[in-house]
Amino acid sequence: MTHEQAIDLAPAFVLGALEAAEMAAVREHLATCPESHLEFETLGSVVPYLVESPDIELVEPSAALRDRIMAAAAADLAGRSGEPAADTESAPTGPTIAFPSATEREARARTRTGRIGWAMRIAAVVAIVALGGWNLVLQNDLTTARRFDQAVSRVITAAAESGSQTVVLTPTEDNQASGLAAIRPDGSVVLAMRNLPQTTGTEVYETWVIVGDGAPVPVGDFMVDANGFAAVTTRPTTAPPGAIIAVSREPKPGSSAPIGPIVSTGVGLAPSS
Amino acid sequence: MNDRKDRVSGRVASPADDADRAVLLRVADGQLDALQDLYDTYRTMAYSIALRITADASLAEDVVQDAFLGAWRNAARYVEGKGSVKTWLLSIVHHRAVDAVRRRRPTVELPEREDIPPASLTLPDIWLEVAGNLDREEIAVALGSLSDVQREAIELAYFGGLTQQEIAARTGTPLGTVKSRIRLGLLSMRRALVGEDGSDDPATGVGSP
Repeated sequence: MTHEQAIDLAPAFVLGALEAAEMAAVREHLATCPESHLEFETLGSVVPYLVESPDIELVEPSAALRDRIMAAAAADLAGRSGEPAADTESAPTGPTIAFPSATEREARARTRTGRIGWAMRIAAVVAIVALGGWNLVLQNDLTTARRFDQAVSRVITAAAESGSQTVVLTPTEDNQASGLAAIRPDGSVVLAMRNLPQTTGTEVYETWVIVGDGAPVPVGDFMVDANGFAAVTTRPTTAPPGAIIAVSREPKPGSSAPIGPIVSTGVGLAPSS
Repeated sequence: MNDRKDRVSGRVASPADDADRAVLLRVADGQLDALQDLYDTYRTMAYSIALRITADASLAEDVVQDAFLGAWRNAARYVEGKGSVKTWLLSIVHHRAVDAVRRRRPTVELPEREDIPPASLTLPDIWLEVAGNLDREEIAVALGSLSDVQREAIELAYFGGLTQQEIAARTGTPLGTVKSRIRLGLLSMRRALVGEDGSDDPATGVGSP
């Protein structure tokens, strides 16, 4: 690409409005051409402000989004090897940044409670899943309670295997379904779920494994009766740490992509060393 | 005038910037509550931008989640720069949203997905570093300086995720005209934001050595 050709593409480049090959060619040119590229800087300097266009109607996301993001970040944190996640006294990264020490002190003081808060929340979800059995006992449904207890035990046993990941499934908005799962080294998912609405007719719940930006992979469906719980071991699949496990309610078995609503999701968490 | 110019071309940090940077430093340190603070500060703007671009509430939430996780994982890299955290974060949202919209269009050739948002941004870090905080009124004035056709071309590109070829096809306009509209529109915005008449605009010397 010549310098003149790159300059000709500059207006669309700064807006990201080129075909992928053209974007790459301009990037390559900018990285290697010794001439001045003021056109790019001049046009590009206003682009960051477009996201603040007053024409954009301000809309609040759902309350559940915060939980999803925080759960995924917590999973990401747990998956970082050798990261001193619990060390609040470690030196801050990016030492070139100066900011008021009072702010830093306040920030760090708040952190302790914040981190504990999230750890507690995750622990609480696990506890809620386990205590589901207790609630069933209170409801005098001892057979179901025993079955639920066995399901949770199976998950814990699978989670204890070397190389297994654990997953806490939390309800999506307007749902109550939660659960605990283990992804075994072969990629099969051992799942214990509760508070699932009963399936009727041809309805099933499908378990999906989502890796990165890949399409959801169906790994096993199940039906749920009035007791609202499920104990399932799915087909093996590829599920590296960070894979998302989702459960959706499908109108019939055999969907290759989720059609019905996703009722519960969680992220595969590798055991931290 | 110089004050406004500084915020576009020389950047002056505001108290909000400093607070954001303190939060981002904690995000870079792997502090979950800092991520929550960042989310609570910018969730509405982030979601609104994603929704504007995707026109799909569920996809917009996925985009916002993706963007905040990208920020979470890459804050340490960004914190070494000097730019506005807000602009950096919202640019990630914009980029991810356009990416998501284009992925739904099977005809568009896409680059390999990059894991690290700053590297995959269409904006070089330097533009983000010079971007300060302008209020919405100033931005409204700048956008108001555009002609209808300039504004249409820029919005189709920036919020529609269309390429310049697609804009030409969509609007029935020659490609050269689309390029010109985008270029003149951006220059007009810059003049409005910088508060100058453009006489010292380096871009006017394009084509000459």
